[in-house]
Amino acid sequence: MNTRDPLLVARSLTKNYRSVVALDSADFSIGAGITGLLGENGAGKSTAIKIFLGLVKPTDGRAEVFGRDASLDIEVRARLGYMPEHDCLPSSVIASEFLTHMAESSGLPRKQARSRAADILRHVGLFEERYRPIGDYSTGMKQRVKLAQCLVHDPSLALLDEPTAGLDPSGREDMLELVRKTYNDFGISIVLSTHLMNDVERTADRIVVLREGRVVEEGEVASFTTEKSETVYIEVNDRRDELASSLSAQGVSTRMDGSSIVALDVGEEEFDRIRDALAASGASLRRMGPRRRSLIEVFEDGGGKASEASSRELSAESAGGGA
Amino acid sequence: MTMREGRVFDIGYQRYEGPRGGRAQARVAIFKDGIRTALGIGRGWRLKIVPWLSIFAAVLTALIMAIIVVTVDRVLDGSEATIDLPSHSDYYGIASIILFLFAALVGPELLCPDRRSGVINLYLVRPLNGVDYVGARWTAFLFVMLLVACLPQFVLLTGLVLGDPNPWGYLRDNWLDVPKFLGAGFALALYVTTLALAVSAFTTRSVYAAVFLAGLFFISLLVVNGFTERPDVGLDTRKWLSLLSLRDIPLFLNDIIFFNNGATLESVGEGSSAQNTARLHPNALLTAWYSLWVAGPGLLLLLRYRRILS
Repeated sequence: MNTRDPLLVARSLTKNYRSVVALDSADFSIGAGITGLLGENGAGKSTAIKIFLGLVKPTDGRAEVFGRDASLDIEVRARLGYMPEHDCLPSSVIASEFLTHMAESSGLPRKQARSRAADILRHVGLFEERYRPIGDYSTGMKQRVKLAQCLVHDPSLALLDEPTAGLDPSGREDMLELVRKTYNDFGISIVLSTHLMNDVERTADRIVVLREGRVVEEGEVASFTTEKSETVYIEVNDRRDELASSLSAQGVSTRMDGSSIVALDVGEEEFDRIRDALAASGASLRRMGPRRRSLIEVFEDGGGKASEASSRELSAESAGGGA
Repeated sequence: MTMREGRVFDIGYQRYEGPRGGRAQARVAIFKDGIRTALGIGRGWRLKIVPWLSIFAAVLTALIMAIIVVTVDRVLDGSEATIDLPSHSDYYGIASIILFLFAALVGPELLCPDRRSGVINLYLVRPLNGVDYVGARWTAFLFVMLLVACLPQFVLLTGLVLGDPNPWGYLRDNWLDVPKFLGAGFALALYVTTLALAVSAFTTRSVYAAVFLAGLFFISLLVVNGFTERPDVGLDTRKWLSLLSLRDIPLFLNDIIFFNNGATLESVGEGSSAQNTARLHPNALLTAWYSLWVAGPGLLLLLRYRRILS
C-alpha cells in the first residue's frame, strides 16, 4: 500500500439502528497524520469508528481500512489501535501485565510484548507506576493506560474516541500533547473523535465534521482558520485609544479585541497607514502580526456549513468547563 | 588505573518490525490469560484465595482418603472382615462439593469482569471475534478444571501405591483406574466448565453467577435427594426425578465408566440417593442426558457471544 493512500475510506456509509439513522451515506477519507472527527453527541462519530473496527456492520455502503473491507477482514485490526471513550480497564491487574497481555492479544510474541509494554508505559509517563494495580490509578492515569493499550502493539493508525473525556484542564493538555507526540515521534496516524473543537484545533491537521450522520465539512484545519482577507492583530503597551483614533483617521477599519486592536481587511496600503498611525499616536508596540481565526470563530461566524451544530458543541464545551 | 568510557545512546522509539501471530496468537494469549485469571496468577492476594484454597481442599480430601484406606488395610491385614473402602470411583462423588464450588466461584471470573469493566471491547478490536474469545476462555477453564479434578486423583493413587506392601503389584492390578479417573474427570470438567461459563455469559457480576450456580448445584441436589430418599414416593417417579439433580449428572458418567452400571432394583433399594437411583436407567439414556447438559449450555454460550459482537 502506498504511504499516500488513504488509511480509512467511507463510501456512502450508512448505519440505521431501527428508525434511528446514525450514519447517512457518509463519504470521507482519512490519510496519514492527525485527523479530527468532530461532531456533537449522536452525530455518528462513534458509529463510524465501530464500523471501521469491524464491530458493527454497516446497513449500506462500504468501510475500508488500509484498502480492505473492515467487516470481512479481522486480521487488519492487528494494525489498528482503539481507545474507547468509556471505561475498559481491569482494576485488579497491574498496568505492565495488562499491556503485555494486550500486545500478545494483538499477535506479538511474549518477549516483544513485554518490552513494548515497558516502552509505551514510559511514553505515557507511567513507567514508575507500572507495577501498581490499575484500580489504584487516578482518572488521568487511567486515560494514559487506555492510550498505552491502544499503542502497545505498534499500530499504523490509532482511533481515539474522546481521549480527553473526564480530564481536568492540565490532564487534557497533557493528553493532547501525548497525542501530538505519538504522531510526530512514532509516526502513528491518529483519528481523534471528539465534540470539543479546541482539542481538534490544537492537535489535528485535518478535520471531518459530522452532523446527524452526514459529512458537513472536510479539509485541512488551516484552510478553515486562514482569513480570506488579512486581519492584523496589534498589541501595544500604552496609548491604545490614541492608536485606535489614529487608525480611524487614517481610514483603517478596526475593532477592539480585549486590550488589543484588530485591523480588518488589511492590504499593502493599509500596512503603511498602520505604520503612520503608530508613529502619530506615540504608542509603544508590543506585538503585531497576521491573525489566525480559531475553529470556534469559523463556525460561530457561519464560516462553515456546520456552524449551527458547532455552536451547540461550543456551548456544551463551555458548560463542561473545557479550556 | 584507566577508566573505561561509556556512552549512552537514546535510540528513541522503534517501530515493531517483527512477526505478528494474528488470530491464532490472539487466541493463545486469551487462553493463557484465562488460566492466570482462574488461578489468580498476577492478581492481588484476594483473587488467589478461592482457587488455591479449593485446590488445597480437593487434594487434602484425596490425601485423607488415601490415609484411611492404607490405615484400614493395615489394621485389617490378615483379618477376614471386609469393608467397602473409598477409592478412585468414589472420589468425584465425595469431593464434588469442592469441585462444584470451585467452578461456581472461579468460572464467572473468566467472563464477567471483562464485560463489567469493558475489557471485552479491547479484545474485540483485536484480530479475533467473540467466538474466538469465548472459545479461548472456555478452553482455559476446562484445562484448569481438569487439573483441579485430576490432580487429587493422582495424589490418591500415589498414596494407595506407596501404602501398599507391594507397590508394583498394586499398580499392575489397578492401572486401569488411571484412564478411568481421567475419563470421569474430563466428563466432570467438561460439564461444570460449560455450565459455569454459560451462566456467567448472562450477567456482568461474578457474584450473581456464583450464587446462581451454587443454587443450581446444591438446591437441585437437596430437593431431588429429598424425593428419591422417601420410601413413599413411587420408584418410577424417583427414577426420573433422579435425573434432575444437577450435581449428579457428571457422576452418572463416573459410574458408567467405573462400574458400567447395570444396577438392579435390589441393589438400589429404598432410600437411595439420586446418584444411585439414576443407575436404574440405561447407560445410553444417562449418557444422552449428560450430553444434552453439555451441548445445551455450550450452544447458549456460543450464541450469547455471537450476539455480543453484533
